[in-house]
Amino acid sequence: MLEAVELTRHFNGVPAVAGVSFPLVNGRLTGLIGPNGAGKSTTLAMLAGTLPVSSGSIRYLGQDITAMPAYKRARRGLVRTFQLASEFKRLTVLENLLSAVPSQPGDSMRGALLGRRYWSAGEEQAIAEATTMLERFDLTKYANHYAGDLSGGQRRLVEIMRALMAAPTVLLLDEPMAGVHPHLAREIGHQLVALCEEGMTILMVEHELSIMDEFCDPVVVMAEGAVLAQGTMGELRNRSEVVEAYLVG
Amino acid sequence: MGHNAAIFYIITLLVYGGVDALACLGLSIQFGVAGVTNFGFIIFQAAGAYAAGVLSMPGDSANGGFQSYIAGLDLPFPLPWIGAAVVGGLLALPFTLLVGKRLRGDFAAVGLLVAAVMANLLVTNYRPLFNGSAGLSLVPAPLQDSFDPQSTGYQWGYCGAVILLAALVYYLLHRLTESPYGRTLRAMRDNDVVADSLGKNVLSLRLSMLVLGGAIAGLSGGILVGFINLWAPSGWGYAETVVLFAAVIIGGAGNHKGAILGAILVPLGFLEASRFIPPFGSPGLIPALQWVAIGLLIIGFIWFRPQGILPEKRRVNIGFVLPGPQRPERLPGSSTKVATLCRRCRVPPGPQPRLRGPGVRCFASTRVSPRFHPNTGTAR
Repeated sequence: MLEAVELTRHFNGVPAVAGVSFPLVNGRLTGLIGPNGAGKSTTLAMLAGTLPVSSGSIRYLGQDITAMPAYKRARRGLVRTFQLASEFKRLTVLENLLSAVPSQPGDSMRGALLGRRYWSAGEEQAIAEATTMLERFDLTKYANHYAGDLSGGQRRLVEIMRALMAAPTVLLLDEPMAGVHPHLAREIGHQLVALCEEGMTILMVEHELSIMDEFCDPVVVMAEGAVLAQGTMGELRNRSEVVEAYLVG
Repeated sequence: MGHNAAIFYIITLLVYGGVDALACLGLSIQFGVAGVTNFGFIIFQAAGAYAAGVLSMPGDSANGGFQSYIAGLDLPFPLPWIGAAVVGGLLALPFTLLVGKRLRGDFAAVGLLVAAVMANLLVTNYRPLFNGSAGLSLVPAPLQDSFDPQSTGYQWGYCGAVILLAALVYYLLHRLTESPYGRTLRAMRDNDVVADSLGKNVLSLRLSMLVLGGAIAGLSGGILVGFINLWAPSGWGYAETVVLFAAVIIGGAGNHKGAILGAILVPLGFLEASRFIPPFGSPGLIPALQWVAIGLLIIGFIWFRPQGILPEKRRVNIGFVLPGPQRPERLPGSSTKVATLCRRCRVPPGPQPRLRGPGVRCFASTRVSPRFHPNTGTAR
């Protein structure tokens, strides 16, 4: 599905990621953990196309997408969220969700100028999908609120919902539980597992090990810009280098 | 002031108001909606004015050859106006490099500002292009062979055409802004990196907005030069862009009605009103103070009312609970979905029992209306 091959990224000569390789297992929720500065977010950004790679390659659905811009990757179903809450502040929650719906008839200058009759059917369908999503994450009552007015946890949810509205095949989540109430974080975890059971492939950067324990399999551990180990959390806890670098580090 | 002079003054104000409204609408879609801070906006208006001028003027050997300029195609109306819009739009293409991936936000804005200064210097100092610092004069008025441009009827007609065009541009921009495409533009304005990661081609969107805004600015320049019959570099310094930005900020960035209001209040109203201040101090003091006042207005509004006089309206969906005190209620047994909303969603006659308390979603997803209505709540 998605595979990183010897990815490297330098910032002014300083390596942030050095030769990272791992495949994502189809239909699984893969965790990506590591200490601060391990290169997790940089790796995720390279996979999504937000950051160009210094060397190495990325394969997606059997195709080399290393040079493909981020928006084209997203259109092919490779969608990401961000480490910092990145909602569209001056759009309502509903508009945030609708903004991600791909291939809307009115989402072009021509379509817009053709008028509401041309795009209203597609818009109605998108609103129905967004309504389902809002119900799923219990944010229906905030649909008409500006996203920038929500709490940190709610904004995280908006970001996740918005990414899901983009109809991803592979979803890259950068610390989606940060700032979210632990109870809600577990709810999100269950939702993500359910999405994987429906066929979605997810890579999730996360610091909370209990979340990794409960929901992610496999887990990739990074340290100092390289992959240290891969496996289930149970296996990783028995690996001394992992324990040394991260679990007690 | 005599009767005819008063009428001419009113017509002039209306034409200027229409031209300024057009320019501010062009800037409103670029800056207010799409978030492209085009500090070089005035060069697009200037390009349109020069294009309309040289397309409508005869060759530069005419009138004793006292002017020097390119083209001189002597084209009939409305080709100069169309040419002005086309040139304004095409001029945007090279500026895509400035608003591309490598140069964004404030850096792109500064790049465009520098480009505007360079363009002005080039036109001022290279006479064969558009007659240098003296500029173009004796630009023919549209249809002057068929009508007398000095007649009141002609001038009212000109005024009507300008207002009609401004209304048409407003309608088209409104259509764009209130569509999914407009939503994408506003998303790009809020966070272009995220919009990019959601499959939006940000570069293409920015280019489209530069071309569209440039075409509107070019058209406004073409209209203006047809009315005043001359155009010189002193009329389009970079500071003129500041006036247009002040208008859009004060009127309300992101709200096209606000842009029109700003055009009426700042370039037209404020600058015009200051003409009536009795002269005092050294010569040039009052015009200098005008600029100071414009700067203070911008700072004041950004500080105290950044949303402007007419803020961008929140697009609420009538199928969901509204934030704040205005909450919709469902009418049981009625096909009407919303009872209490904005003015366009008036409460129908008859009993209107409240179903449930506040904070409750009104409709099932299958019954959600696709129509968005701006409510009376204000943007932050």
